[in-house]
Amino acid sequence: MNNKNSNMTVEFDSISKNESFARVVVAAFVARLDPTLVEISDIKTAVSEAVTNSIIHGYENQIGRIKIDVSIDGDEVTIVVTDNGIGIDNIEKAMEPMYTSKPELERSGMGFAFMEAFMDELSVESNPGEGTIITMRKVIGKEDDNWDKELD
Amino acid sequence: MEKDLHELMGETLIIHLPEELDHHTVGEVRNATDDLFIGKRVRNVIFDYGKTSFMDSSGIGLIMGRYREVRYLKGNVYLVNIGKKMERILEISGLYRVAIRAEDISTAMEMIKE
Repeated sequence: MNNKNSNMTVEFDSISKNESFARVVVAAFVARLDPTLVEISDIKTAVSEAVTNSIIHGYENQIGRIKIDVSIDGDEVTIVVTDNGIGIDNIEKAMEPMYTSKPELERSGMGFAFMEAFMDELSVESNPGEGTIITMRKVIGKEDDNWDKELD
Repeated sequence: MEKDLHELMGETLIIHLPEELDHHTVGEVRNATDDLFIGKRVRNVIFDYGKTSFMDSSGIGLIMGRYREVRYLKGNVYLVNIGKKMERILEISGLYRVAIRAEDISTAMEMIKE
């Protein structure tokens, strides 16, 4: 039996203070795969982006619930961030780098671009009025990362 | 909340960024610094990354926003005390295309004087 295979779920209120909680708890769970500092940093950034999107855009700063499922299958981590917020009308538009539906909030429009850059796979499912499901995958220990050598 | 979150020196605002710069802490930084922009002439902003080990796109938004403001006065945004953990996200974000990287606060202050 491969004792590396495992999963967990965490659910919390959509308040901004929980952004750091969310990324830290996911990083702690993934730690069993012995990720590099860069891999951990990538995962934390991606989780932070997805959760922030749910808080600002999904729930528009009303309090709702955000659920994160993390599963580990061998060396692969799958992170699913689900909210029951307003959903995304035009996913393609939302994913364009530099696009933001809330420029008045000084948003950079880089959220999805960072999720794509830091994870191996990203998929977005959303139905207006029902919510959004972000699924991200990353294989740990895949690359020989130059950034890590510099971090040592 | 830190006491010395920001300092206004002449027309230069120095913002000492928190350990983790996300949507939540960006809100705190904004609340603590916005008053300094009102009725004052802030031509340059120095962001001090000395304590910072995490930043996401919310942090990028903060810096872009300040950049847009100082451009009206033909000023600049400086990023200083950047540790190795911050290098990657700053490069990927493209922030160096608009912000000037400097070694530390005094180096940035020298560049502003010139």
